[in-house]
Amino acid sequence: MSPLPLRVRIHMLLRSFAVQGSWNYETLIGAGFAFAVLPGLRHLYGAKGRDLDRAVARHAELFNSHPYFSSVAVGAVSRLEADGTEPEVVQRFKTAMRGSLGSMGDRLFWTTWRPMSVILGLVLVMAGAAWWVAIGAFLLVYNSLHLAVRVAGLKIGVESGLDVGRLLREAPLQRIIDRGSRAACFLIGLAVVMVAAPSMVDPVAGFVSVAAIALGFFLGLRTRKVMIAILVGVTTLALAFGFIGHGA
Amino acid sequence: MLLDPTAWLLLILLGGLVAVDGTSVGQFMISRPFVAAALAGWAVGDPIHGMVIGLVLEAFHLTVLPVGAARYPEGGPAAVAGGAIYAVSDLAASTLLVTVLLVLLLEWVGGETIRLMRQGNIGLVAEERPGWKTAAALERRHLTAIGLDFARGMLLVIAGILLLWAGHRFVLPRWGMGEDVPQVVLTALVAGLLASSVRLVGLRGWFAAAGAICGVGLLLFSI
Repeated sequence: MSPLPLRVRIHMLLRSFAVQGSWNYETLIGAGFAFAVLPGLRHLYGAKGRDLDRAVARHAELFNSHPYFSSVAVGAVSRLEADGTEPEVVQRFKTAMRGSLGSMGDRLFWTTWRPMSVILGLVLVMAGAAWWVAIGAFLLVYNSLHLAVRVAGLKIGVESGLDVGRLLREAPLQRIIDRGSRAACFLIGLAVVMVAAPSMVDPVAGFVSVAAIALGFFLGLRTRKVMIAILVGVTTLALAFGFIGHGA
Repeated sequence: MLLDPTAWLLLILLGGLVAVDGTSVGQFMISRPFVAAALAGWAVGDPIHGMVIGLVLEAFHLTVLPVGAARYPEGGPAAVAGGAIYAVSDLAASTLLVTVLLVLLLEWVGGETIRLMRQGNIGLVAEERPGWKTAAALERRHLTAIGLDFARGMLLVIAGILLLWAGHRFVLPRWGMGEDVPQVVLTALVAGLLASSVRLVGLRGWFAAAGAICGVGLLLFSI
């Protein structure tokens, strides 16, 4: 039996979507965390009063997490507050959760699920799907896991409180990361061929594309800067030719 | 006239929406360049060409990671401006290349405004002032920060559309390289940027190779 009614949990879930709303360089998402946990605090301490304000001030301190996994912390902290846990213990718990919720989310979403979903959308565009089909497929695939993590995270947090760390360790996140990154790599291979294929009819264009693919593959995350430099270089040359042409 | 009033209104609202989607609210990824640019193209009547520039911008944005306090270029509002302006242009390869370059500049400007906003949010929700951390004050200040982010996105789209329009008028008449070179360069850049994202997801070369072989097979089958 949850210590918080369904209505309160729904409000906390909805507010957790805005957890990064006041992101800042001092308390990071601290104020957003307090904003998200506030319906739970109001249920426990009343709609107004000194106890509520003290609890809000405690939770508006420094906090950080991946935004989607913040619902785990919101759920667990509201459970601890409902259980009457000492504020110092709650604070230590939040500090302990910060790093792991951040790195889990970064690995699962930013470096696996998002690239995979984006490239799926791009492959659909290149395969000739309607623009809205490609966008719809991307948003559906991406947000299915996003929303599942938000909803399940809050549920697990509220139900398990301090025990949430163990449950997170048992969650099949690594399996999703492994499978997602394999799928992403497969889709990247497919997308690269689909983009470069039209240029293969011309030997020079084909060679340039193959060289760019090799460059991208070996430079990895540094490729963006090199490609921007190439873009600037080509534009500068074109303008120079243009000025010479106009002058002649 | 550059754009009709309805298109302006739709684009400005879309700019605010994708700005808050980027960080403040939801992160449903409507702020991804290929989504934002296609929606902007749709707002001006040509989603297909909005999607075309969105695809190029997305390739540039794939390896950008919004981790912690990192400074990163902001894709959403810039893609809205880029998608709209490219969709109402002559659709030439040189136009696409110049638009992409200017949008990348706008992305950097957007990233800087995020940094300034986050600095400003310290005064709003993080400074130690006696008595402000009440429930009502926290809610008010947090929602104010989200409202400011929305306004920032709207302003970026207005500035971006005007910058791109001016950039087109200045650069494109002086373009002296024809259309073949920008076509080849853009294709190669997108292919190279897509290949670079294999490193992002874990350098599983065999799976990428299998995907490439499937791609070749599909192309041969479709000929």
